Amino acid sequence: MKPKVAFFDFTSCEGCQLDALNLTAEELISLLNAVDIVNFREVMTERADNYDIAFVEGSITRESEIPRLQNIRDRAKVVVALGACACIGGVNCLKNHLPVDAALRIVYGKDARYYDTIPARPIDALIKVDYYVRGCPPITAELLKVVKALLLGKKPEIPNYPVCTECKMAGNICVFERGMTCLGPVIRAGCGAICVTSGRHCWGCRGLVDDPNLDSEKDILQKYGLTVEKVVEKFKIYNTYAEVTK
Amino acid sequence: MVGKSVLVVDDEPIVRESIRDWLEDAGYQVAIAESGEEALEMIEKQDFSVMVLDIRLPGKTGIAVLKEVKGQRPWIKSIIITAYPSAETTSEARKLGAIDYLIKPVVPDDLERLIRETLDSVGREPTVTTEVVIRPKPRVIEAVEVKKDFVMPKENMRTIVESLAKEMEVVGVKSKYGKYVYDRISSFEELCLDYDVTVMPPTKYLLPAKETLLKFQAGDGSKVEPVIEAIPRAIVGVHPYDIKAIELLDEAFMSTNPDPNYIARRQKTIIIGVDCLNPSPKSFAPSMGTNLTETGFDLLLTDIGTDYMVTVGSKKGAELATKHAHLREPTGDDIAKQKAAREEALAKYKLSLDVSKERLPKLLEENYEDSYWESRSATCLSCGSCVMVCPTCFCFDVQDEVALNLKEGERSRYWDGCVLVDFAKVATGENFRHDKASRFRHRIFRKGKYILERYGKVGCVGCGRCATACLADIASPLEAFNAIVESAEAKEAAMRIVREVRAETELYAPRPAELVMVSELTPREKVFEFRFKDGKSLGQRPGQFVEVSVTGIGEAPISVSSSPTKDGTFQLAIRNVGNVTGALHALKKGAIVGIRGPFGNGFPLGALEGKDLLLIAGGIGLFPLRSLVQYVLDKRSSFGKVILLFGARSPAERLFLDELAAWSKNPDIEFHETVDRGDESWKGNVGVITTLIPKVDIDSKKTMTVVVGPPIMYRFVIGELKKKDLADENIIVSLERRMKCGVGKCGHCQINGVYVCQDGPVFTLAQLRNLREAV
Amino acid sequence: MTKLNINVHHVTRVEGHGNIVLNATDGKIEKVLWEVIESPRLFEAMLCGRYYEDVPHIASRICGICSIAHSTASIQAIEAAFGIQPSEQTLLLRKLLYNAELIESHVLHALFLVAPDFLGVGSVFPLVETHKEVVVMALRLKKLSYSLAELLAGRKTHPLSCVVGGFAKLPKIDELKAIRTRLEDALADLDVTVELFKTLSIPNFSRETEYIALKDDKEYAFISGHIASTDAGITPVAKYLEVTNEFCVPHSTAKYTKNKRDSYMVGALARFNLNHDQLLPRARRTAEELGLSAPCHKPFMITVAQVVEAVHAVEDSLRLIDQILDWGLEEEDNAVKVQAGRGIGAVEAPRGILFHDYTFDKNGILTKANCIIPTNQNHNNVQKDMEAIVPLMLDQPEDIIRHTLEMLVRAYDPCISCSAH
Repeated sequence: MKPKVAFFDFTSCEGCQLDALNLTAEELISLLNAVDIVNFREVMTERADNYDIAFVEGSITRESEIPRLQNIRDRAKVVVALGACACIGGVNCLKNHLPVDAALRIVYGKDARYYDTIPARPIDALIKVDYYVRGCPPITAELLKVVKALLLGKKPEIPNYPVCTECKMAGNICVFERGMTCLGPVIRAGCGAICVTSGRHCWGCRGLVDDPNLDSEKDILQKYGLTVEKVVEKFKIYNTYAEVTK
Repeated sequence: MVGKSVLVVDDEPIVRESIRDWLEDAGYQVAIAESGEEALEMIEKQDFSVMVLDIRLPGKTGIAVLKEVKGQRPWIKSIIITAYPSAETTSEARKLGAIDYLIKPVVPDDLERLIRETLDSVGREPTVTTEVVIRPKPRVIEAVEVKKDFVMPKENMRTIVESLAKEMEVVGVKSKYGKYVYDRISSFEELCLDYDVTVMPPTKYLLPAKETLLKFQAGDGSKVEPVIEAIPRAIVGVHPYDIKAIELLDEAFMSTNPDPNYIARRQKTIIIGVDCLNPSPKSFAPSMGTNLTETGFDLLLTDIGTDYMVTVGSKKGAELATKHAHLREPTGDDIAKQKAAREEALAKYKLSLDVSKERLPKLLEENYEDSYWESRSATCLSCGSCVMVCPTCFCFDVQDEVALNLKEGERSRYWDGCVLVDFAKVATGENFRHDKASRFRHRIFRKGKYILERYGKVGCVGCGRCATACLADIASPLEAFNAIVESAEAKEAAMRIVREVRAETELYAPRPAELVMVSELTPREKVFEFRFKDGKSLGQRPGQFVEVSVTGIGEAPISVSSSPTKDGTFQLAIRNVGNVTGALHALKKGAIVGIRGPFGNGFPLGALEGKDLLLIAGGIGLFPLRSLVQYVLDKRSSFGKVILLFGARSPAERLFLDELAAWSKNPDIEFHETVDRGDESWKGNVGVITTLIPKVDIDSKKTMTVVVGPPIMYRFVIGELKKKDLADENIIVSLERRMKCGVGKCGHCQINGVYVCQDGPVFTLAQLRNLREAV
Repeated sequence: MTKLNINVHHVTRVEGHGNIVLNATDGKIEKVLWEVIESPRLFEAMLCGRYYEDVPHIASRICGICSIAHSTASIQAIEAAFGIQPSEQTLLLRKLLYNAELIESHVLHALFLVAPDFLGVGSVFPLVETHKEVVVMALRLKKLSYSLAELLAGRKTHPLSCVVGGFAKLPKIDELKAIRTRLEDALADLDVTVELFKTLSIPNFSRETEYIALKDDKEYAFISGHIASTDAGITPVAKYLEVTNEFCVPHSTAKYTKNKRDSYMVGALARFNLNHDQLLPRARRTAEELGLSAPCHKPFMITVAQVVEAVHAVEDSLRLIDQILDWGLEEEDNAVKVQAGRGIGAVEAPRGILFHDYTFDKNGILTKANCIIPTNQNHNNVQKDMEAIVPLMLDQPEDIIRHTLEMLVRAYDPCISCSAH
């Protein structure tokens, strides 16, 4: 009996689900041989209420989303948070720094009264999550790794060390030595340090490692030229919800 | 016929006669001599192709014989055999033209192969002298592995590099974003041989960030194939400190438990080194003795202006240099220029060690508890940068990956490092180095003490890379060493010359074993009985462990629970705590798993024989101890009084109930049992296991105690045992750590300077007194 | 009394969440509504207070499918605000990157989202059995787009290497040569797509509306040009607000727009109507083969226009790569000097014209942002189309009406999360 897999999304850009389909024909066929995809609104019309594994993308930013999320938790044996928005809140949480009404008014002006929103949060603020596929967007290979681990009945081996380790493995020159600053030293690896390899720096989309030395990272960022405010601004983009900024 | 004639010279009749017999069987014509004088007489009268010569002879020594043979018939190839290799004699022998040496007792195959290879090269050579005479036509230099220097015009490097590029991959030092890196060289112009230091060391070509060890068909342990991929490669521009680091890796990977993957890469690698004349401001190589090197390279270049001084370090190097370059003998002026260049470089170093490096190990040992470790590591991010850029770091993790079809997969190794948080964490969640201070200290001790003591090579080569890479600015071992004030004598382990090693391709490949019986002990513990598919016995000693593979899931270390006196099958008692153990628990009779091992030292049976035994098992400590109990019962007459104590947390958690019952009824042993807390039906002792110890009567002079249990139990039990006046050497424990490779390579099971999988898991309390991380 | 109640909750095979509501009694329509219920993320508020360097990174997250379009519009707005003129090399690379996304987006839409309706299945998954060749080809085209984007920007979804002023890392010449070969093969793959589309019977429903797109003198416009309208002629980008006229409606978290009429259309069909004579030769032939000619007022032909544009994008990519190989690539200095100012970036995202309007203070901190997304500009057109098509179908069975309305929404390739931003 193939496990039934369902994809859901809440407040998100749907990039995580799109990248989940970034497969070669062989990979898609192997995937469809291994699981039954029973729910995937972005590409499928059929829907099902009966599923074993639910991948959930997006964070929760409205009251009306909460019962839908809880319904998924009730029906699924395994819930996997897919992408930064679901795992740690993601960029959606940037608006949490403003009072709710102020944010609505900036966007909708006098018509703000038609719309509702609540401070954004990751899905594990509301339900228990079994596994996390992190990143904005996640690496397709890591998503497949979690799928394979679920099929084999083992816990997927996701790193608990910072991006610096993978950055060195990739042969990159450290961003700090190139006149920029980077959150890599406290952010969880697993992405292969792709942003640094592409010429940029780490913004922290995979969230913090289990036990980050935040004081040390903040000191380092300041040593390399950022003021306290700018350091806080850097962390805010993805990690607002982790209360780093407090 | 001269072509295949061998003269064997040894004063021991059995040696020379057995060698003669082997070689005659292999088709050679062999003559024997029992002394140097006799050998020389025979050489005067007849010619030989090869002479096998014992260095230690009565009368005329082997060295003297070599000198005279060189004068008479210099084309005779000499192979030295000796029971006592020493650096001086072997290098002198080489200088006198000896091809190679073998250590007694000589392995016939090795000797035969060496002679064959030597003779293969004989036919093509003209009569040689040991001096290189410059001729217009290039020629193979006869003096292999002699540390000879020549001078070569700089443009010849282009020819060398370009010819190498035709036959193999050439990597070298080039510039990137204002720094230097090792990368593929597509044109000679890209090479920057006057660099200061590269970001990543060249060791990544011998131990890459990811390397596949095995391919398998998942779920079925019998379809496992070792993967060894190595391409011929030349590394150009290696500084001496990196060469020294490679020598360390050679020792770690090629001597004990030879690693087939490393060896394949190493044997296909050509190292062209360059003297470092522009050191990095963070380098302290001279303090570590690594700014110059006489060994470890095929060629070494020193820039002396328009030319290079080329030191030939190996046969390969010799071939390269003579084939592609115009070599000449160095003049006095050249030698002076080289000396001047090296001195000038030496003056440029800004940093140095405040004590001589030989004193580091003792210095560190004596300052294990210093508050420096805690205070300095407070800002550590555990980011891994220091270990990733370090040329002497080689710890690795091993993981299984399967394809989406769940049928095929691979097991690969990845760089890992002891400073990373979960390095020493086991499946139950316990982390044996959970705080930054202990991880920081371990790394410094590794670099300054453990590596030197274990492998005889310097553990930190002073390249300065970690000091540059560390954002928190705390990684430099120099700063740590200098910060520790005391000084002491250090001993240097003997240098071992590592050469052609026959590697075991199956080092990491498990053997298939069938599950013949499985039964439940408790809801989360089962005992499994296995038999190897090929019918062979495991051959374990009590106290050893195996690595059990469920391909696709992973591999886990499990103690063997049965005694070797039980024939044919072996038992593993396993608690369900993680990925692999969970998968094992789901197996049914007939399933196939992979087994590697047995590993570890096992209980010291020799020390236990004839003594009284007090065996103490706490909880699942009974799993490994049971192998000893069964062994003792099967050889009961070899031991004196035997007392067995067992403690479980509750009656429901008691293990091997039938055997417990049998032991309590057995008149040959005294058996006591207790539970931490009882229940309604329990009629026996209640209380922790230490409560049983005062009750037993032992003669502390004749008793050996073996204790196995969870870490927390040891301190209390040992306290009680010491009250009974038992000496430290007579108390034996078995320790658990995270084990991956089982063969002393991946680094995860380290306790201070020892590897649990090699030097343990069984230790005496006396040994533990020196291992502070242990309990 | 016949009651018709159609309530499609969360239309499938579109990006984002939208509902279709239709109530009619005895042939009289009481309510026909395209309801956009996507949760708003409030990007225009979130971008305030951010340093310019982080702005494209965040703005990219407005959409997962057209993140390159948002990044590009964002970068161009910042360059306009700071007075930075990107080099010719940068423009070439940007156009090539743009094509990568366009190909993927259009192929995804045509083959994964729309084609199943015409082939009688609910998704692409059953097609793996029945039309394996098509699925293999579609995945191959997707992979090619990803590879091209990765080559240029490190990653396709939320690109990395494209920065204000240029590119942080340049592609390697031999990799460009290798992908050029794959692009040539892609033309054959697109031929298969074209053949497939020839066999599909596209509904004929037609309703004329205003069509708006960028227009450039030199080429079929994607990242440069002025605003062109079939009703109103040319408007400079700086005056975009005069064209868009955003307004709110209670049943949609996304704003709507209108210009000369109650609604207008943007996207592939709008671009085709305005710029079809600038299509490259093979694309033009494809349009003919597929029966697409300007002016076309049939919304169901949007997908066909997308197939034509995909062919154009591949042709254009070959042309651009050849030019890059000819010129060679040089490392450039992307240093940026910040200043106070306002800038507007306008691009043609796969789904239509996209505006990013930013104001910065002298420290390079963003103080005000306005983004108008293509699907915002289409929502009202969808509504009007529905109001027009329903009366023509009232005698059909309920299933057909529902399916047709869903297909109508899908035809627009709406990016609803984007529009609610």
